[in-house]
Amino acid sequence: MKENVKKKKGRDWLFSYLWSAPSLLLIGLIVVFPILYTAYISLTNMSVYHWFDYSIIGLSNYARALFVFDSGFLGALLATILWTAVNMVIQLVLAFVLASLLNIQKLRLRKLYKTLLMFPWAMPGYVSILLWKTGMFNTQFGLLNQWMEKLGHQAVRWLSSDVSAFICCTVVNIWLALPFMLMIMDGAMQSIDKSYYESATLDGATWLERTRYITVPSIRPIIAPAVIITVFTTFKQFDVIYLLTQQMGAKTGSGLHTILTYAYENAFITNNYGYSSAISIIIFVLLILFSIRYQSPEEGSA
Amino acid sequence: MKRTLAIVLALTMLLSLAACGGGKIQTDPNRLVIWHDKEDAVIEALSAYLEEALPGVEVVFEKKTSLTDSLKLVGNDPNSAPDLFIFAHDKIGVFAEMGILSPITGLLDEGVLEDYLDMTLEAASYKGTLYQLPLYFETLMFMYNRRYMQDEEVPATTDELLAYMQANTGRGRYGFVEQHSTAYYSAAWIHGFGGSIIDSAGEPFTEPEAVKEALRYHLQFVELMPGETEYATVNTLFLEGKADATIGGPWMVPSARAAEIDLGIAPMPVVDATGMALAPYSGVQGIHVLKFAAENKAEAVKVLLDALTDPQVGVSMALASGCAPANSKCYEDPAVADDALVQAMRETAQIAVPMPNIPEMDVMWTVTSNLLTDVNLSGKDVDSAFDEALKEARNLIANMK
Repeated sequence: MKENVKKKKGRDWLFSYLWSAPSLLLIGLIVVFPILYTAYISLTNMSVYHWFDYSIIGLSNYARALFVFDSGFLGALLATILWTAVNMVIQLVLAFVLASLLNIQKLRLRKLYKTLLMFPWAMPGYVSILLWKTGMFNTQFGLLNQWMEKLGHQAVRWLSSDVSAFICCTVVNIWLALPFMLMIMDGAMQSIDKSYYESATLDGATWLERTRYITVPSIRPIIAPAVIITVFTTFKQFDVIYLLTQQMGAKTGSGLHTILTYAYENAFITNNYGYSSAISIIIFVLLILFSIRYQSPEEGSA
Repeated sequence: MKRTLAIVLALTMLLSLAACGGGKIQTDPNRLVIWHDKEDAVIEALSAYLEEALPGVEVVFEKKTSLTDSLKLVGNDPNSAPDLFIFAHDKIGVFAEMGILSPITGLLDEGVLEDYLDMTLEAASYKGTLYQLPLYFETLMFMYNRRYMQDEEVPATTDELLAYMQANTGRGRYGFVEQHSTAYYSAAWIHGFGGSIIDSAGEPFTEPEAVKEALRYHLQFVELMPGETEYATVNTLFLEGKADATIGGPWMVPSARAAEIDLGIAPMPVVDATGMALAPYSGVQGIHVLKFAAENKAEAVKVLLDALTDPQVGVSMALASGCAPANSKCYEDPAVADDALVQAMRETAQIAVPMPNIPEMDVMWTVTSNLLTDVNLSGKDVDSAFDEALKEARNLIANMK
C-alpha cells in the first residue's frame, strides 16, 4: 500500500514535468537561452570587424564596459530610480482610486467605463507614443500648444527641457500602464467578500477605516506580483523616453536618460556586440539585485 | 479529454518549433533572389525591364523592411540570404567589413562604368574596391512654393535666405523650414563651410573651426524655424503652405504634387563667407552582390549586372519614379531631359558629397544629432558642446573595435 502511494507520487512528479515540458522548453528558448547567449557573446570580440569570425577574448569587454558606468551613467541611474518611484506611486494611487470608483455599488454603465479604461492597452505602444508626441506635444500642431495659443500664451516646447520631458514621459507612461494595474486592482477588489463591509458598516466604520482595514490588506497579496512586474517594466522602460525625446532625426533637446537609453546611445550604436552584451549583462545583474532587495520583504508579509 | 488536448497542444508546439529550423538551398544557377526596400514603382520598372532583357534568368524581387538587420543575421548563410540586394551605398563599409560582399569589378565588362557619374562611383567604393553597381541617387534640393516665393525672390546666397526668412516669418508662417537639428540635413551647412562630419580615414570633424563656424551661422536660421526638427512637422508645414521654402529630397515631390503645390526647384544657396554652395549628402542606390552568389552563380550574376548597365534601365526608373540615374547616358533621353526634378538632381550631383560609407559613420549620426540639438535646441555653448561631441565621437569609434 505504502509502496503504491510512493510509486504514484513519483509518477505524478514525472507527469507534472512532462505536461509542463513544452512550456518549460518555450521559456527556456525565449527567456533563458537569450540570456545565456548574451553572456557568451559578452566574452567574445563580436563586432562589425569580426562578425562571423569572432573568438573568445575573456573578460576584457567587461573592463571596457565599466567605463560606460561613468558620471553620466550614475545620473541616468538616479533618473531611472526617480522615474520608477514616481510612476509606481502615481499608478498605484490612480488605479486604486479608479478601481474603488468602479466598485461603487450602484454605478451605471460600469462596462463602458471599463472598456474605455482598457483602451490604451489595446493599442500598440509604439503607435500611442507617437500619437502623443505629434498629437499632444508637437510645438506646431499639438493640442497643448493650440490651447496655449487660444489662451493667449506663447507656444511651449514641451519635450525640450529635462524636467518637462520627464513630466511628459511620465504622463504617457501612466496612460499606457494604468489599464494593467487597474484591471488587477479591480479584480482584487471584487474578490473581497462583501459581508466584511456590511459588518464593518454595521459597526460604524467610516469609508476611510473600511479602506484601511479591509480593502488594502485584502488586495495586497493579489496585487503584489503585479507591482513587481510593473516595477520591472517601468525600470527598464525604453520606448516611451526614446520615442518621445530621442528618436533618430527627431531629437527634442532634452537630456533625460534612463540607464537603457544611456546604454543604447553610448554602446549599442557601436555595433560592437561583445561590448554591448557585457553592458547588458551588467544591467541585468543590477536588475536582479534590485529585485532581490525588493522581493524579500514582500514575500515575508504575504 | 483534457489530457488529449494537452498532448495535441504540446505536439503542435514542438512541430512548429521544428518547422522554424528547416530550410532549402538555392542551387538553381539561373534563379537570382534580390532583396530591396524600395518603392513599388521602381521595382516594377526594373523587373519589367529584366523580364524582357533576360529571358533565361529568373529574377525574384523580395521586399524587406529591415534589410540591414536581416543581412546582419543571415548574410553568410546561403540558405536564407539573397543573391543580391538593392540598398543605399552608406552601409557598404559595414557589410564589406563583415565579409559578406563581393567586389563587383570582376563581374563587369571592361569600360562599362565610363559613363557613370563620378560621385556615384566614389560612393560605391570602399577602401578602393567597388562593391556596388550604382542604379540611381538621391540628394537634397532647395524647394519652394511658387504661390508664396516668386522665382525672382529665390535666394542665391545664404544671407539672402536669412533676409527672406526675417521678412516672412511670424504669425504661424515660416519663410523657410528644414530638419535643422538632424545630421543628414546639417551636413549641407557643414560642407558649405568646408567642414566634414567624418573623413574617409574615420577621423571625426576634421575641420573643427569650419564645423563651429557653420553651427554659429546656422543658429540664426534655427531661431526663425519651428522648435521641432522631425520630418513630419517640417514636411507638413511645407505641404500645408505654412512654409514658403524648404530643403527636401525627391521623396517629397509626389506629396507636394498631391497637395497641389506649384513646386519650384532651385540650386542650393551659396554661403557668403566661403563662396561654396550648401553641399548636401547624396545617397546612391545600387545593387550589391553577396559572396556566395558571386562564387556559385557567377554567370547569371554577370548577365544581370551587364543588363543593368544599359542606359534604358535608368531611363525607365527615372520616368517611373523620378529617380536620378547614375549613368550619365540616361540624361540624353528626351523625356528624361525634360524632367526638371531629375535634371535638378543631376546638377546637385556636381556638389553633393556621398554619405560616408565607412562603418564609423554609424555612430556619427547620433553624435552629430546630439551636437546639433545641444546647440540648436538646448542653447548650449558651441565650443564646449563641440568639444564634448568630439570626445564622444572618438570614444564611440574606439569602442566599435
